[in-house]
Amino acid sequence: MFSGLRDRLQAARNRLSASIGAAAEAAQPADTVKTSEAEKAQSVAKNPTLADKVRVLIIERELVVSEKDIAGALDDLEMTLLESDIALPVAEALVSDIRKGLVGKHRKIGESVDSLVVKALKSALLKVLGSGFDLPTYIKTHERPVKILFTGVNGTGKTTTVAKIGAYLKKQGFSVVIGAGDTYRAGAIEQISVHAERLGIKIIEHQTGADPSAVLFDTVQYAEAHKTDVVLADTAGRFHNKSNLMSQLEKIRRVMKPDLIIYVDEAVAGNDAVVRAAEFDRTVGADAIVLTKADMDSRGGAAISIAHTIGKPLLFLGTGQAYDDIVPFEPEAMVEELLGGGPL
Amino acid sequence: MMDTLSASLKDALKKLAGKAVVDRAAVDELVKSLQRALLSSDVNVKLVMELSKAIRTRSLDEELPKNTNVREHVLRIVYQELVRLVYATADLKLEPQVILMAGLQGSGKTTTTAKIARYFQKKGMKVGVICADTFRPGAYDQLSTLCAKINIPCFGDPATTDARKIVREGLVATKDLEVIIVDTQGRHALEPDLIQEIIDLNVITKASHRWLVIDAALGQQASEQARRFHEAIGIDGVIITKMDGTAKGGGAMSAVAETKSGIVFIGAGETIEDLERFDANGFISRLLGMGDLQALAEKVQEAQAATEIDMDAMMKGHFTLRDMYKQLEALNKMGPLKQIMNMLPMGNMQLPEGVYDVTSTKMVRYRILMDSMTPQELDDPSIISSSRMQRIARGAGGTPEEVRELIKYYKMMHKTLKGLRGAAGGKFNMQRLMKRFSGMQ
Repeated sequence: MFSGLRDRLQAARNRLSASIGAAAEAAQPADTVKTSEAEKAQSVAKNPTLADKVRVLIIERELVVSEKDIAGALDDLEMTLLESDIALPVAEALVSDIRKGLVGKHRKIGESVDSLVVKALKSALLKVLGSGFDLPTYIKTHERPVKILFTGVNGTGKTTTVAKIGAYLKKQGFSVVIGAGDTYRAGAIEQISVHAERLGIKIIEHQTGADPSAVLFDTVQYAEAHKTDVVLADTAGRFHNKSNLMSQLEKIRRVMKPDLIIYVDEAVAGNDAVVRAAEFDRTVGADAIVLTKADMDSRGGAAISIAHTIGKPLLFLGTGQAYDDIVPFEPEAMVEELLGGGPL
Repeated sequence: MMDTLSASLKDALKKLAGKAVVDRAAVDELVKSLQRALLSSDVNVKLVMELSKAIRTRSLDEELPKNTNVREHVLRIVYQELVRLVYATADLKLEPQVILMAGLQGSGKTTTTAKIARYFQKKGMKVGVICADTFRPGAYDQLSTLCAKINIPCFGDPATTDARKIVREGLVATKDLEVIIVDTQGRHALEPDLIQEIIDLNVITKASHRWLVIDAALGQQASEQARRFHEAIGIDGVIITKMDGTAKGGGAMSAVAETKSGIVFIGAGETIEDLERFDANGFISRLLGMGDLQALAEKVQEAQAATEIDMDAMMKGHFTLRDMYKQLEALNKMGPLKQIMNMLPMGNMQLPEGVYDVTSTKMVRYRILMDSMTPQELDDPSIISSSRMQRIARGAGGTPEEVRELIKYYKMMHKTLKGLRGAAGGKFNMQRLMKRFSGMQ
């Protein structure tokens, strides 16, 4: 997954290293020759003071990375990030973060350029992706039923995600009930009830056109009466710029009082991902993110964009059409994978 | 976000205004802000780079056309290059046809299928829909519910998992209908089985059109996906959906470039009527976050034409009511004066707010009055006596005072232009003209 982004980051890393390397070369044209001479001098020299002098001068001499050295490589990196669907403001923030991490760094000649670059990239990415979110632990440590509300714009895969998370939690040994809160879209109730039936999960549904708050309220009532562990509340897709639909969502939140609000978006979304994530977060809030259709895209920029914008952890990645195509998100592992496990 | 982008674009354009030669640095700045605007709208990075290269080269290399300032010149190039990318509107004929819908999961194929059915139905065609989505639960229910609302037959079988079989049967069942739309399951290019399926469906249906449905929010992935779909079934039209959100639809632009097709429809809303034919200009304005780009480009062109007429009249030293009529007509075509003043490179000239409106309504009146004049009166206003004034006023449904005011205005214009000829060496001095204008009110 995200192999595209990984390849690009690798390339960017190499370019950055090369730029800094080139700067070092320019600063000391005969770097390597001198070093070997110095080593020779060190081993042979009778006069230790001279050897020390040489060592300090050559081997431990520090190189300061200047902004100019890496400007070109950083521009390339920004393009790389944009090509990977990282939204423009986020790409800019990341690049400036990396610049800050590199410029003015004293690099010892002995230290590899590569590790310096990797360190800067890694810390910038980790800062964005934050820590993951462990749903099973969350459920175990909270009062049941744990009520989870799913939100997002149209067609991002909320209903499928509800089914997948239902299957995942059931496998973990939790009891689950689904609330068919999408009462608007034609065929939505049929869709979620077929999923529930296949998975053997209880579903609470009303008629098409019913008040979604009422459906979800009933679902919570059911869960409380039957001591169910988790309530998964599906909702109709809505655009963040439709204030009536957003206030409907607001009402749902008031009525069912969710413990977690999960914002669902797709990995293939471009710059708009940032706009709508921010708007959902502002109006109804979001505690965690699920990114769907990650199998469609080897770039994964939306993950970084959204995480950076609303500063909330990524919970799962949807990676296919089957129920078990869902992967808990681990930022450390992802960054490690993206940077190809470089030396640290 | 978008506001700041379009502001920086406008700033960059402003810097070009008033320059006599194309300034490399200013063009570079413009191209850079254009790049940023397009990238934030999800246009493919490579496409943006090609586009900006073309704009830069053309701006710097092409000779400045006569009567054009640098800003207009560059602006027109920007506009032309952008339009070139999306201008090809996919053809849409009201004839018997089979349309195959293709697209990624969740892009809005099913909703769009119903919307297109409604579109053809309203045009008086007999329409039928086949639901070939055998994978997603509820897909058939969704489509048949939507179709039932508009009384369009929907063929499908939720119990069957073989899309090919359904389509074969569906084609037989709908053979008396004129437009048949085949909705398919969402798929992406990395699923070989599903790609094979849609290739087969294309063969079975002998589809006249294969339309790719693209979510307006789709990012850089659009190019790649469109290319793969194009390779598989030969996409001949793109539909952008969910344009009622805040997404700019730049991905669709990449898809169009990739498939060498045009944009057929734009979906912007959840009801069945929310489908529009594509309008290149509106789309580009949205991409750049500049509401008036096309209007601007066109108006600048018209303004030039208008200036030419004036120049002719002035150079002849002969300014009749007829010339004034032409001038007012040209101004009227360009829209409210205020807008024109904002668009023309007039530097920092400021006019009081009220002046514009009064002037433009007056202009309409003047034209009506002139319509009621005889050719002789138009050619030689000096023959207009008080009885002629009476007649003109009656013909135009006005008062003789109005005609008198018109004559006064004409005399003032005449004097102004005469003065200009001497002072500015024949160059049209709009600024001074406007001063006279405002003095008149």
